[in-house]
Amino acid sequence: MLSHATAREWLIPYADGMLSTDEHGRIEGHVGGCADCRTEVDALRQLNLVLVSLPPAPPLAFAPFWLKLQAALPAPKRASLTRSPRFRRAGIAFAAAAFAVLAGASGAFAAQSALPDNPLYPIKLSEEAVRLSLTPGPERLGVQIQIGSERLREAQAMAATGKPDLAARSVRAFRVLIPSIGPGLERASDQRAAQSQARTLEIELTAVQEANATRGDDDAEVKQLVLTSLGDLEAELHPVPPAVNPDVTTVATPAPQATSRPTPRPTDRPKPKPSDD
Amino acid sequence: MDNADAAALPETDGEERRLIDRSAAGDQEAFRQLVLRHHRLVINVAFRALGEVSLAEDVAQEVFLKVYRALPTYRHDKPFAHWLHRVTSNAVTDFVRRRKPVISLDAFDQLPMASGSDPQDLAARHDLQRAVRDAIAALPSHYRDTISLQVFGELSYDEIAKTLDIPMGTVMSRLNAAKRILREQLGPALQNDEQANTA
Repeated sequence: MLSHATAREWLIPYADGMLSTDEHGRIEGHVGGCADCRTEVDALRQLNLVLVSLPPAPPLAFAPFWLKLQAALPAPKRASLTRSPRFRRAGIAFAAAAFAVLAGASGAFAAQSALPDNPLYPIKLSEEAVRLSLTPGPERLGVQIQIGSERLREAQAMAATGKPDLAARSVRAFRVLIPSIGPGLERASDQRAAQSQARTLEIELTAVQEANATRGDDDAEVKQLVLTSLGDLEAELHPVPPAVNPDVTTVATPAPQATSRPTPRPTDRPKPKPSDD
Repeated sequence: MDNADAAALPETDGEERRLIDRSAAGDQEAFRQLVLRHHRLVINVAFRALGEVSLAEDVAQEVFLKVYRALPTYRHDKPFAHWLHRVTSNAVTDFVRRRKPVISLDAFDQLPMASGSDPQDLAARHDLQRAVRDAIAALPSHYRDTISLQVFGELSYDEIAKTLDIPMGTVMSRLNAAKRILREQLGPALQNDEQANTA
């Protein structure tokens, strides 16, 4: 049987719904027979109702947020080729020569972040093509995902700056990459990491969709392309499993999506302290 | 203690770890992906604490700038989301401290528009929410940091303990104390709200 003093120390986690079933039952048993504690719990619940009434922020477009943040970031460091095992394997000298031929000594780095309305943009596309061709098969998916992610970033930026044609072109270029994701996932050496990486495209594509939701008719094509791309990407990331019994006609259902919430872990039960540290 | 909600914050997965390492080396594309994953969380926390979208965005910008600068010193010994919550909480506190009281029409534009509720109810709700934010901001720092993570960040007791690196018992005692003070501070407002709800 709980003492009144002990029960009172547990009333806040009880009102917050943070106790185990067993603990909850013990406190509830006491509260049921104690008018003081019942009043206290009612007051705590009233306070909680007010505290949880603070609403979340309304939906906000990511692209303008990122563009503003990017403008404030310190200048990017030049990429170090020697840090990348991929380039080491492909041959540092060969890769460096390819970059130099394509982009000139300094232009390649400036082109890396160029948007479709920038004169350096074609250099960026060429650099990506070379990079992809130099990448061994099992690692190619990672580069394709980076390129896809870059196309979505461009689409966001173009839509945000009132250039829906260029935004649509970037989404179309993104769509071209989608069919290679499924085979790439099968080839990947670390499938779990590859899945996780590929899912960021889904998040980014959804962000493009949310950012475009409030835009006008000029962006209708972009909206449609994004919607179609989401369906295509979903099919690549979550393929429908084959029917188990070919003799029985069944309607195939999509494989359950992996949850982002890990399995809860048990932890030691804390002892409440009567006063703070 | 029930830990059913104890894993609401994502653990740092392999991909995120790579994004963090690449961002720390100055790769802005990797950092963009990291921001994309977490900007909603940061803006929500800041908005709940400040009540205005423009202020929440300013604080979120500040948070990610601090994160970018501090990433080279970040160690993977605790989940990135826990660290981010702490940086956000500190940024909100600094912002509130710096801010001079202003009356912003922007805040009134963002009143929640529930169907069927009249302007008087909305204004009363808005006043109550502002009273809650002010009361939390006025708490002693260790109580404020703890209850902010629960109210603005929607973290469980376990997550608060990990984010602040304090025992779970301390989380409970701080929440106990913070809520007692809040009840005293908000007493009349709470009674009005209860009467409005039961009317």
